[in-house]
Amino acid sequence: MKRRVVITACSAITPIGYGKNDIIESLRQGRSGVKPLRDDGLLTERIHSKVFGTVDYDIDYGFARKDTKTMGPVAYYACQVAKDVLADSGLDQDFITSGRLGVSFSSTHGSPTVQRNIYKTFFSKDKAEFSSIGAVDYLKSMVHTTAVNITRMFGITGRVVASSTACTTSSQSIGFGYEMVKFGMQDAMICGGADEYDTTTVAVFDNLLACSVDYNDTPQCTPRPFDVNRDGLVVGEGGAAVLLEEYEHAKARGATILGEVIGFSCNNNGGDLILPNLDGITTTLRLALDDAEIKAEDVDFISAHATATKMGDVIESQAIDAVYGNGPWVAGLKSYMGHTMGTCGAIELILSLYMMEQGFLAPTLNLETVDERCAMLRHVREVTETETRIAAIQNFAFGGVNTCLLIADGRP
Amino acid sequence: MTRDELQKNIVTILVDEFEFENPGLTDNLRDDHGFDSIDAIELLAKIEEMLGFQISRKEKEKAMSIRTINDILDYIETIQAAHKG
Repeated sequence: MKRRVVITACSAITPIGYGKNDIIESLRQGRSGVKPLRDDGLLTERIHSKVFGTVDYDIDYGFARKDTKTMGPVAYYACQVAKDVLADSGLDQDFITSGRLGVSFSSTHGSPTVQRNIYKTFFSKDKAEFSSIGAVDYLKSMVHTTAVNITRMFGITGRVVASSTACTTSSQSIGFGYEMVKFGMQDAMICGGADEYDTTTVAVFDNLLACSVDYNDTPQCTPRPFDVNRDGLVVGEGGAAVLLEEYEHAKARGATILGEVIGFSCNNNGGDLILPNLDGITTTLRLALDDAEIKAEDVDFISAHATATKMGDVIESQAIDAVYGNGPWVAGLKSYMGHTMGTCGAIELILSLYMMEQGFLAPTLNLETVDERCAMLRHVREVTETETRIAAIQNFAFGGVNTCLLIADGRP
Repeated sequence: MTRDELQKNIVTILVDEFEFENPGLTDNLRDDHGFDSIDAIELLAKIEEMLGFQISRKEKEKAMSIRTINDILDYIETIQAAHKG
């Protein structure tokens, strides 16, 4: 059984805004969400990179204590975007609790803020501080905390998938959710990812010499995917969710169809856990086309993973060139907000959906001089009014995990 | 601590920390106020803090049968007495 899987609601909290209007405005205006790294009293002074893709606006969550008692900051993002998609979807409560709606959602590693508080007690000789580890700290910090706080808040009883694969966390969430619906295990899935403000992730990439350090005084000028002067990634935060629904189910209830997931691929490089791998990535892109049963020339736009690391962008350019040539437009949307880690695939899919609906493509921000090794692609260099019927969202992660999602616009 | 003092402290904790609204001494904690097993563990930590001594594992397990505020007060009086003894 293969069923069509459509997107009937979406929501994103990002460094460039919360909700469709804010985000579209930022994309059209070239507004960056990269800000100075905030002092966390622990690592900030020792990290060379002083920039972060920051959610610096207030969000009116309005959650009740019965729900928040098991939520760390990451779950606030997750539950808020899940709340949005359920409200926008118009799904009735009977369906939400029927067992036919599942959740595929995760984060890079639960809530690092809560984990940090737990670790603090390891270094304390004070017995009282040891017992300050709360009964709910595990529930707040476990890897699937986002997914199960969503199920708890809304009484969802279907399947739970919590793929935690670093930068492919939410692209896998959407891909696995797509497969759940496509093959009939569920009729709808809330899919996405979230990651909270966290300097330990910055420290890790900083130590790997992968973080941007040359633009500490001008945060909005970094990251610079595909640019000759790029100097690494910028870590960011956010949350994003889509509601995937079986096409006939959505049609029967008169739901607004925003788009359709038409293909998904996921593979592993089978070797090095850090270095990007041309063969692995190229295979991923081809597998997605096979899954969607479309040709390379059918794809109009590619949202590249494009973290702005020195080698990652080059390898990805080579893979795109090998599979697509210079046919589709290519943009690196992390240029607007940095690398939101476990959230990036879902955010980039939603941004692509918005642009498809609005009939424009946003350029890769800060792409001033294209690296000649990336120059064979058809880069979006300015806001371009154009129709996009099919888009590819590419994401690659530490651990050698690669994903590609193919989406079509919402037209019947 | 007298029972009245205990009652005042516990009601304050339940209102301030657990967002109870108009708690009654015989209300069912779960049905009337959504108080669950996670809350019970958290409340035990608050009670330890209030009493100034640690409650043993066996004593904590006995707390799982608590259903009302009166039960909480009875429970605290019992462990206070045991601790003094």
